Amino acid sequence: MAANLQQQRTINEQLRREAGIPRIQVSEACNAMMKYMIDHESDDCLLSGFTSQKVNPFREKNSCNIL
Amino acid sequence: MSECAASASNVNANEKMASLLKEAENLKAKLEEERQKLNDVNLSNIAERLEQIAFVNIKPRKVLKGHQAKVLCTDWSPDKRHIISSSQDGRLIIWDAFTTNKEHAVTMPTTWIMACAYAPSGNYVACGGLDNKVTVYPITSDEEMAAKKRTVGTHTSYMSCCIYPNSDQQILTGSGDSTCALWDVESGQLLQSFHGHSGDVMAIDLAPNETGNTFVSGSCDRMAFIWDMRSGHVVQSFEGHQSDVNSVKFHPCGDAIATGSDDSSCRLYDMRADREVAVFAKESIIFGVNSVDFSVSGRLLFAGYNDYTVNLWDTLKSERVCLLYGHENKVSCVQVSPDGTALSTGSWDYTIRVWA
Repeated sequence: MAANLQQQRTINEQLRREAGIPRIQVSEACNAMMKYMIDHESDDCLLSGFTSQKVNPFREKNSCNIL
Repeated sequence: MSECAASASNVNANEKMASLLKEAENLKAKLEEERQKLNDVNLSNIAERLEQIAFVNIKPRKVLKGHQAKVLCTDWSPDKRHIISSSQDGRLIIWDAFTTNKEHAVTMPTTWIMACAYAPSGNYVACGGLDNKVTVYPITSDEEMAAKKRTVGTHTSYMSCCIYPNSDQQILTGSGDSTCALWDVESGQLLQSFHGHSGDVMAIDLAPNETGNTFVSGSCDRMAFIWDMRSGHVVQSFEGHQSDVNSVKFHPCGDAIATGSDDSSCRLYDMRADREVAVFAKESIIFGVNSVDFSVSGRLLFAGYNDYTVNLWDTLKSERVCLLYGHENKVSCVQVSPDGTALSTGSWDYTIRVWA
């Protein structure tokens, strides 16, 4: 019982802390996140591709294909 | 204690418990109300005006073969070229992902090495699993690696995940004993333990910005917790998943986290709005998610599933962009390379694949 009480006290403490944190509007948070993604789009090789396949370190090396 | 006094103290404890439970209920209701007040719009509405991701040119580039059992975890080296993998076969392999060569292989005195992580310097790796321990190996010759290994910390159940939070000097671990722990590498001292989850901790990730004092954990209790590493306290908690949370990852912007769960969905939680802002799911997807990671801009969310596929989600629109096929068993881990040029995937089919 004493252990359960202690555990519940800890849970309540956490809930009190969480209730007290500052929050912002979802629209504001989402717009900030969207801006981050748009600003970093050009650095994102998996999203935008490589400027040339030559700079892709994982491309297959062209084997000699002169016949 | 007399019988009378004992029963009086029981009544007292029961009353205290009842009032604590009542308070907890009120706090939860208040939390939900506060969160709801600020829920003016959802992410995909905001992203409506953006163009869809038309085409993603990601191809299978390398297959790393050498493990003799399920691949459970992989980690990219800070040099963006090497990959470490750990397996059910009890082996740790360091690969050159450019050439697919195995540079080192170490056999541990355990099977199911569920976690492995490069140190920030790239000179050490930490790993562990069913042995309940986190062990550090220097990356030198195979013989020296085995000889110079060092056990840093021990949990009371399996170790499911580990990362180096700030430097080579500290390791953060998550465990089936439902705790996380911060260890000093040199002394093996427990610097901080993190109690709060009521189920096995399956995954942890470090906040990308700030001073490295915040991390997130995901657990079989279906929750994701944001922790303050210094105080050891839970700062925020996120619920919504219907089953185990297997994977957690910070969005590169540092203000949101993604989760992957056995309930076959991924979710996005914004920390500043303190709530879920997107769900990544489809009726046709019925298998669990084992691992998630973001591309460097955070626009793509990669998720590895039990149906052998990797799904690419548009983070902003909550729509699936495409699927990566290739693995012949469950995809256990996915990770974008440090410079964002490639994606590694590990699977129960014994292989690791690199996509770029």
